[in-house]
Amino acid sequence: MKTPRDLLEIWPVARQLGGADRLGRGAAVKSKGSRERVARTRTADRVVKSVCPYCAVGCGQNVFVSDERVVQIEGDPDAPHSRGRLCPKGSATLQLTTGSSREEHVLYRRPYATEWERLDLDTAMQMIADRVVETRAEGFEWESEEARVRRCMSIAALGGATLDNEENYLIKKLLTGLGVIQVENQARVCHSSTVVGLGTSFGRGASSTLPGDLQNADLIVLQGSNMAEAHPVAFQWVVEAKRRGATIVHIDPHYSRTSALADLFVPIRAGSDIAFLGGVINHVIQNDLDFREYVVNYTNAPTIIGEAFRDVDAEGLFSGFDPGNGEYNPDSWQYEGAYVEAASGQRDQAGHLEGIPPKSGSAEEEVDRGSASLDLTLQHPRCVWQILKRHFASYTPEVVERVTGCDQRTFAEVCRLFVENSGRERTAAFVHGVGWTQHTIGSQYIRCASILQLLLGNMGRPGGGVMAMRGHASIQGSSDIPTLFDTLPGYIPTPHAHAHQDLDSFVLSNAPDKGFWADMRHYVVSLLKAWWGATATAENDYCFDYLPRLTGSHGTYDTVMAQIGGEVKGYFLFGQNPAVGSANNRMQRLGMSKLDWLVVRDFSLIESATWWKDGPEIESGEMRTEDIATEVFFLPAAAHTEKDGTFTNTQRMVQWHHKAVEPRGDQRSDLWFAYHLGRMIRERLADSDDPRDRPLLDLTWDYPCEGPYADPMAAAVLAEINGYDADGTLLSAYTALKDDGSTACGCWIYCGAYADGVNYTARRTPAGEQNWTCPEWTWAWPANRRILYNRASADPEGRPWSERKKLVWWDEAEQKWTGLDTPDFEATKPPSYRPPEGAKGPAAIAGTDPFIMQADGRGWLFAPAGVADGPLPTHYEPQDSPVRNPMYGRQRNPARQLYIHENNRFHPDPGGPGDEVFPFAVTTYRLTEHFTAGGMSRWTPYLAELQPEFFCEVSPELAGERGLTHGDWATLVSARGAIEARVMVTDRMTPLRHGEQVVHTIGMPYHWGPNGYARGDSMNELSSMALDPSSHIQEVKALTVDIRPGRRPRGPARVALVQEYRRRAGITAETGTERRGAAETGVPS
Amino acid sequence: MATRDQVLSLLGDGHDYETAAARLGIAPGEAYLIATGRPADGSDSRYFADPGDLPASPQRLVGPVPVNPQRHPTVEAWVRDRARRELSR
Repeated sequence: MKTPRDLLEIWPVARQLGGADRLGRGAAVKSKGSRERVARTRTADRVVKSVCPYCAVGCGQNVFVSDERVVQIEGDPDAPHSRGRLCPKGSATLQLTTGSSREEHVLYRRPYATEWERLDLDTAMQMIADRVVETRAEGFEWESEEARVRRCMSIAALGGATLDNEENYLIKKLLTGLGVIQVENQARVCHSSTVVGLGTSFGRGASSTLPGDLQNADLIVLQGSNMAEAHPVAFQWVVEAKRRGATIVHIDPHYSRTSALADLFVPIRAGSDIAFLGGVINHVIQNDLDFREYVVNYTNAPTIIGEAFRDVDAEGLFSGFDPGNGEYNPDSWQYEGAYVEAASGQRDQAGHLEGIPPKSGSAEEEVDRGSASLDLTLQHPRCVWQILKRHFASYTPEVVERVTGCDQRTFAEVCRLFVENSGRERTAAFVHGVGWTQHTIGSQYIRCASILQLLLGNMGRPGGGVMAMRGHASIQGSSDIPTLFDTLPGYIPTPHAHAHQDLDSFVLSNAPDKGFWADMRHYVVSLLKAWWGATATAENDYCFDYLPRLTGSHGTYDTVMAQIGGEVKGYFLFGQNPAVGSANNRMQRLGMSKLDWLVVRDFSLIESATWWKDGPEIESGEMRTEDIATEVFFLPAAAHTEKDGTFTNTQRMVQWHHKAVEPRGDQRSDLWFAYHLGRMIRERLADSDDPRDRPLLDLTWDYPCEGPYADPMAAAVLAEINGYDADGTLLSAYTALKDDGSTACGCWIYCGAYADGVNYTARRTPAGEQNWTCPEWTWAWPANRRILYNRASADPEGRPWSERKKLVWWDEAEQKWTGLDTPDFEATKPPSYRPPEGAKGPAAIAGTDPFIMQADGRGWLFAPAGVADGPLPTHYEPQDSPVRNPMYGRQRNPARQLYIHENNRFHPDPGGPGDEVFPFAVTTYRLTEHFTAGGMSRWTPYLAELQPEFFCEVSPELAGERGLTHGDWATLVSARGAIEARVMVTDRMTPLRHGEQVVHTIGMPYHWGPNGYARGDSMNELSSMALDPSSHIQEVKALTVDIRPGRRPRGPARVALVQEYRRRAGITAETGTERRGAAETGVPS
Repeated sequence: MATRDQVLSLLGDGHDYETAAARLGIAPGEAYLIATGRPADGSDSRYFADPGDLPASPQRLVGPVPVNPQRHPTVEAWVRDRARRELSR
């Protein structure tokens, strides 16, 4: 029975007036209902530590589970890199993983069928195993061009950057056992040029630093990156730096939220970054503003180049160019008196130089590779310093303005900021994303930034470095443990087909004799032991012959051509959507329409799974579903909350996520898929005596399984990746690896992640309990070093360059390197150490050489090897550009990789006939609310609602010129396709002046496609397959189009519109190729 | 409602958050919020050394203890067996 007083107490005002909470700010205004509410995070049965599955920031997540259901996902405040924050995508992870848009059942499309049908999982797996066995048998080849290749060219795979490292590892291992070499993932189309650029410059093709280190910078230059929107959680460190007084500069064709937070926004034309950076380099060199002590001691500035080298001529060609095949022979770029191998990029380049044994036959003799000659005064006319000075002399402020559109005053301001914020006391950092990488000369963009950072002494130091912002949860991991054609785990190059090449000659022609890459044989033998176990012996060269061989480029775009040409008949897609995300979507679909079978593993029915029934070619009538023979299997994938495993984020941090719940229905992990598919294929071939099956049957494939679905244990796979010795001790460092068969290691750079049986990737010491490098939060490769090349943070004598910028230093009393980070150097090698005459391997690295993976221990201002299109960055225009190259006779990168096909035509040269047809530049970008090709965002209602519609951004001037209305539709046309988008008229796009010419740029996000909740045309209907020759990455950050008001035509009229544009522009197979009579490749549709 | 002084006083007497909260009839996470002004789930990510701060993460005060094992005996045994079978000494 309630008293009147009790009843009065229900009234908040009475509680307020009658109690202690007179202001009504606390208990007085809390209702009974509120008091009884309990957060579901508090009542959860358990909270599981996890990692966000979207971009490569890898934010920590707490996954809350009640009654074996995930009930909430939140940011993990203990995580030092994300500090509890999640962006809109990360915040939508609960909906991504538990929402109804995920498929739960296997779907099957019979050849020529018009609809999906259901299939039980086991039947589907058995059918896929049958298809693999059959197709492999048809497409297996032992020789190609008279060289032994032992490979299968009829099967290919794409995808892996959204997968766990353990999944990529098993996929790569299985496909290698099958002889499949056409294995690729998103890393190819996103940051492969970063790997080449950073790897050749510094020795490792990964970000040198971590976003958290940006807080220590005095200047942050974000170029080719809209970090605030693409990597918003990591951007907090830029904001932190600004709060501490740093200057923020954003250089980009497109004004964004990154620009809004910057102190200085510098708009430049898409595709002109090398000219801009080259101008800064020229400013530094011409005015002697470099960090000279750093440059002389830590870079190859003093190294003398051979007499045969010729810098670019008026045409823009270096010595060694063969106009016949459009390729360089890099022999003349080598050091005088020595030859060196690159640590990345085009390996095996020096293999044919004089002095190296022929590639055939065993290498039984020690080969002296010589020693480079140095001129520490930097005066020798052929020393790198002088070559660099001459090369960039033409990149004057006037030229920078003419090429980039940036006025000279603003350019001078950027130069001043760089110089004033570099040196002993101050450091500057670069942040880049795919705005730099996706160009026909993308690797050289990264090289250009690397050169500048070396000149200014910013590498290996707090607040310095090159921060490569990668885009998928494990795209760094899928580069390290590569589902890529040209590398084996740990960036060991895939062997090329040279007659009778054995392990020793492979190592000889790919590894330098100095630095840690000189131990490549240890890494390779340990990998072969991990894969082929007891079968791999010294007598059989550790099964080196089991590795399939390359005969050229076999990247994802080569695969598309091979599909169209009928060579590739079976195709796996692992969480990748090329029908939206790869350049020239039409070519992707045409390729898939020629397949015998296609396996798609994803959450939802992405465009790459449904093109056969609803693709643009079906609508136009160019294809009929009933005529398409491709058999399609759709297998629903498990989410990160439903499996154990590791992602490697953009700062090389390998982070374990725990399984929280079991997946539903037929959803399975890719680890499950790879393991059981391998098991089924091996069962089918168990009795085979065909030698082609030995690499498959001899694979170590004995992983312990657990759970209701017999999932292989991801921890066991990680243990194999980590490596172990004959006692079963899990190794703690790659220096313990041997080349005598006594150690096994699946990826040498990950050695130590599971040291002594402790899974360090699951270590989660809260950020507040350690220093800012946070060495006890999971584990980073290599050897848990957080800032690479950090030996360079100390002067040659081992003392910090300054107290303000100290990181690691030589402790004379303890006789070892110490500091805030794990030294990226041999711990007890003193600064005074000088290699004895004839020293090899790590012993050849002096105590003053910070770049321990490089053949000469120095940062490469000049790349004598590794880069396919020249030892120094040079400005060329994009493949399709509205501007004539004002610097060189060559309009475009002369060594770029092109695919000549009726559906992959290029635009006319600027200034030539037809150039007026596609007058506007286009650049592309990512939005905060969507993710890559949309597979993880367009089906997620929260995200679809936040960014519901595809749009293009145009300046008011362009809108006026073309009659475009804000909010209305526009049609955009290239020689490849026509699309429509909503118009956003905004001064975020800046028209830029180039002499008398005004260049308008259109900005477009690339996430859309016709499926999901947020639907729209795909930007990549417009782009072409034109690649950077070093990395095989496509150019989608700079192209040209026409734009006009209104919606695009439907059906056949859409194709007719593109044809009409081609006719008007006079486009032929030769257009834009500089090759007369260019041959068609592939089969025209 | 408990006051900041009350929570800090109990902490000063050597009680942990769980005990202090039980004495005051509130949840441990609530006691942490009152004492420090910051939610124990860490959603305010500033790091200060204020009275009441814990040396370790306060997340345990507001939810279940996280699942985060780092060792797996099955894996270690499997590796030992694999090494014995596959590697030369």
